[in-house]
Amino acid sequence: MKQYALYPGCSLEKIAQSYRVSAIETSRAMGVELKEIDDWNCCGATAYFHVDELLSYTLVARNLAIAEKENLDFVAPCSACYKNAYFTKKYLNQDPELAEHINYALEEDNLHFTGNIAVKHLIEVFVQDLGVEQIRDKVSNPLEGLRVAPYYGCQIVRPRKDHEDVEEPQFFEDLISAMGAEPVDYPNKVRCCGGSLIITSRVAALSLVRVLLQSAVDSNAMVIATACPLCQVNLECYQEQVNQEFGTEYSIPILYFTQILGLSLGIPAKRLGIGTELVSTKEVLTYAQKKENDL
Amino acid sequence: MSEKVGVYICHCGTNIAKTVDVEDVAVWAGDQPDVEIARDYKFMCSSLGQDLIEEDIKEKGLTRVVVAACSPHMHEKTFRTACERGGLNPFLFEMVNVREHNSWTTDDREAATKKAKALVNGAVERVIYHQELEMMPLEINPNTLVVGGGIAGISASLELADAGYHVYLVEREPSIGGHMAQLDKTFPTLDCSACILTPRMVEVGQHPNITLLTWSEVENVEGYLGNFTVTVRKKARYINEEHCTGCGICIEKCPFKVTDDVFEAGLSTRKVIYRPFPQAVPKYPVIDTENCVYFLRGKCKACQIFCPTEPNSIDFEQQDEFLNIDVGNIILATGYDLFDVSKIPQYGYGRLANVFTSLEFERLVNAAGPTSGNIVLRDMETPPDKVAIVHCVGSRDENYHKYCSKVCCMYSLKFAHLVHERLPDAEVYNCYIDMRTPGKGYEEFYNRLLEEGTHFIRGKVADITDSARTDEEEGKLIVQVNDTLIDKQRRIPVDMVILSPAMEARYDSRKITQLFRMGCDFDGFFVERHPKLDPVATMTEGIYIAGACQGPKDIPDSVSQGAAAAARVAGLIARGTVYIEPVRASIIEEQCSGCRICNNLCPYNAIIFNEDKEVSEIITALCQGCGTCVAACPSAAITGAHFTNDQLMSQIEGILWDVGKGLESIKKVESVAEIGD
Amino acid sequence: MAKKPTFSKEIANLLYASHGNPIVSCIQCGTCSGTCPVAEYMDHSPRRLIAMINADLKEEVLESNTFWFCASCYHCTVRCPSGIDIAELMYAVKRYSIWKHQYKEGLVGPVFSETFVKTIFRSGRSYEPILAPSYIFSRGVRKMFEEAHTATNLMLKGRIPVLPSRIERIENLQRVIGRIIPTGGSS
Repeated sequence: MKQYALYPGCSLEKIAQSYRVSAIETSRAMGVELKEIDDWNCCGATAYFHVDELLSYTLVARNLAIAEKENLDFVAPCSACYKNAYFTKKYLNQDPELAEHINYALEEDNLHFTGNIAVKHLIEVFVQDLGVEQIRDKVSNPLEGLRVAPYYGCQIVRPRKDHEDVEEPQFFEDLISAMGAEPVDYPNKVRCCGGSLIITSRVAALSLVRVLLQSAVDSNAMVIATACPLCQVNLECYQEQVNQEFGTEYSIPILYFTQILGLSLGIPAKRLGIGTELVSTKEVLTYAQKKENDL
Repeated sequence: MSEKVGVYICHCGTNIAKTVDVEDVAVWAGDQPDVEIARDYKFMCSSLGQDLIEEDIKEKGLTRVVVAACSPHMHEKTFRTACERGGLNPFLFEMVNVREHNSWTTDDREAATKKAKALVNGAVERVIYHQELEMMPLEINPNTLVVGGGIAGISASLELADAGYHVYLVEREPSIGGHMAQLDKTFPTLDCSACILTPRMVEVGQHPNITLLTWSEVENVEGYLGNFTVTVRKKARYINEEHCTGCGICIEKCPFKVTDDVFEAGLSTRKVIYRPFPQAVPKYPVIDTENCVYFLRGKCKACQIFCPTEPNSIDFEQQDEFLNIDVGNIILATGYDLFDVSKIPQYGYGRLANVFTSLEFERLVNAAGPTSGNIVLRDMETPPDKVAIVHCVGSRDENYHKYCSKVCCMYSLKFAHLVHERLPDAEVYNCYIDMRTPGKGYEEFYNRLLEEGTHFIRGKVADITDSARTDEEEGKLIVQVNDTLIDKQRRIPVDMVILSPAMEARYDSRKITQLFRMGCDFDGFFVERHPKLDPVATMTEGIYIAGACQGPKDIPDSVSQGAAAAARVAGLIARGTVYIEPVRASIIEEQCSGCRICNNLCPYNAIIFNEDKEVSEIITALCQGCGTCVAACPSAAITGAHFTNDQLMSQIEGILWDVGKGLESIKKVESVAEIGD
Repeated sequence: MAKKPTFSKEIANLLYASHGNPIVSCIQCGTCSGTCPVAEYMDHSPRRLIAMINADLKEEVLESNTFWFCASCYHCTVRCPSGIDIAELMYAVKRYSIWKHQYKEGLVGPVFSETFVKTIFRSGRSYEPILAPSYIFSRGVRKMFEEAHTATNLMLKGRIPVLPSRIERIENLQRVIGRIIPTGGSS
């Protein structure tokens, strides 16, 4: 079984625990083991970077160093954690003085960062390491006719890491197709959901969420698939507040890609954490279950 | 017999004198062996400074001259000529750089003075070994090759042909005319492009001094200034040019159409046998074999069947022809390509039907174009109510091209004007970063557009999308931009968007530089000899550049450069013989062992192997005097004129005059040949 | 004697690991502000903020809400034709603002961020309920009830932590932090 060091991040503990369980379930089904990193600390999200950059890198480096002990690649399901980890590793590798400074601090926890493990987003494990073909082969319950909006969000594609397409990526659509579902044309798929603005600038964030929800409606999507707990929470838990603020009537299910993937792999909804949403996912489920009954 | 060396150290105002103690150096130099006279002077390059040299040669019988001043790039020629006027062979002169190499590199007066002395001493010791040399004559073939039949190439060809010299004009498309033939009106006068271009094209086609080779490409270039041999591949048109009258019946009768994505920018179709546009020069059509049913499947032959000439002008058996032409000079006028705007996905080109490129819009607005000059949307029917024109697409952008493409502001204004003219009720929005209108009449043109009611938004467009957020936006293309002058993010619903893409170097410009052995810059544009003072020459003698291939420019500048290159060439042809520097390598035949190590090392392909004599030989005119072969030859059989071993060794010793003082018995190496004796 | 850095120099120096070009290379094209999804909520667009920084208008910059509305989506950064990392710039200005303790009144961002940092120091993990007071009252009483409503629903679905979690080696982490910044025991 291929193993990865799983860095869940603070959100996956409670508010996004369905992401956590579905991630572990689907990866297991695909022959991958996500081993949780021991005693990990918060990555600093965005708020820590508002206060001190060096400390933020230190916090992230601690997690990387712990993962290095296992000699496994670092996998983050949350886009913000992923972005922080990816760039911390990159900057420390490029700047030996910075690395030295931080390693000096890490000594207090008997840790040392060398930057020799890869940092991946959870979705990369599926679309790059496993590949959509492998996934397509394992799909026992293709979700035919389910129209899914692929919502990438921002920090999964930006900042630019290499020469990848930051405006029109396609890997999420490919993954959805592999599940047998139908990825819709979703024009705002890389537009920000607001992230932590939902706390600090509520109305601004709600306007961002509104655009995404409306876009999904315009594209005739039945569900929005996300790859980040902040995106999922913003899109789902605040739909009611969007409706109150703007006088709209949105009620769109928002699920993690791992949950939808899990359904296509035939894993029961309960085990994927489906049922803890504030917006009903009944329609999506009946769709998937319909297939189950057909079998 | 000892030489009499005159040494002159220039102050160059304070440029040298501020850091180097020039009086001290002069006094010190005067004490050195073989130095007859040593002077320091404020500006050696002035007439008075040069007179000093001239007079000293005559009065003191100087046999060698050394000037310590700025870079030889600046004034080597000046002082060599001064020596010549004094009656001394110009190559018995050596220039030392104590400015760029010395006073401009440090503030340390002591170190600079010490270095100046060393450099001067090196020069003195070297110059003693200089030989009298003569400039070498080179005959110039009066024929010229012009590559590229756009407006720059046409201008250059006509200038030379009218001057009485023969020109071979090679163009890779079936007709000359270039991009200018695709345009409708030209800024700022709004002249009809074809109306001003076609008379020139006709002139080229009929000129007795121009051999027009269209549908042709240069395959190989050999030789050097004055003596190039160029192999041109004349691609098969499958039309017999002797018999074809250009009647066009074959085109009419051809049953198959394909998208014309060259001349019509993909907006219309053409037949498989075609002329790119009605006024094409020459008139002969061409068969597109990739789409011709006869060449693919052996069927049809309608063109041949209906061709009225006797004998038939269609020749399916025609082969590519290879011509070897001898020319003295080559002018490259290969033009530009347009930036591929699909590389900017947020502008929606390709995905959103009504986003057009500038070239597509030129064809739309052209009276002879696919819509007879009617501005309509991609459905080829509906005129737009609102049009947005986006400046700086791919230009001034680190992510694509850093440079400004110079012409887009002007043609974007032109487009705005044309929309106002054809659709008087339409709203036009020009979104720009800066308005660049520097030419004659250009700012006035901008003012005209302001008065025509164009909405100018100072802001680089961020997004073009069809994802509507309000009812007003439904069914429209939304241009999202920060209107920087009022600092508001605006979403402007329009029907049509025209993008003004960057002007790029041709996709194969690097290949061209390799073929002609000159250089291009990072962006692929050909490199001129000097950005300020010599924009049409290249570092390769005999090869010139003109037009957009040198960098983005408009039509007047392309014409100017074409004429400038032609003038340069005409000057050389008129002289008939040019003299080139004798700083070249030569092989001492008796010492050459025929090992051929030098053959492949020469970066200028100037060394050939003589099979009969079994020795290598240097083609003097191609040799640029780099010295690689001199250093590589294991038999020391190659010498570099003006850079002989004696000269170089003595210069080194001269520079190291105060090193090893007090050390006993340093064996002096007189020449390489001594080692191993 | 060293020269006192200008405000624009100070901000530039704060961009520690910025891999972008310096903010003085801004040509004021407006791509960032045209792209920014929250630009309409900012009193000055990102573009104007950069012009203000380059003009050394320190007080006006710190008084603005622009950088506190930045969601760090980096869309401006990937599109900037001058290669400036604008999102990182916003982070830098935030840090400057918190360091100088100078920011517009009524903003949630500064207090929230500082509370967040304290939470991490105390437990190594973030804990939503502790952070709630920094924003729950920011929009008035009615909104507070809406907030409480959402929170209750989430709690009923088991998605809000009741007790804060703590990492095991929290003391080690605190000493790690202490080696970067002296923490003096309490923060």
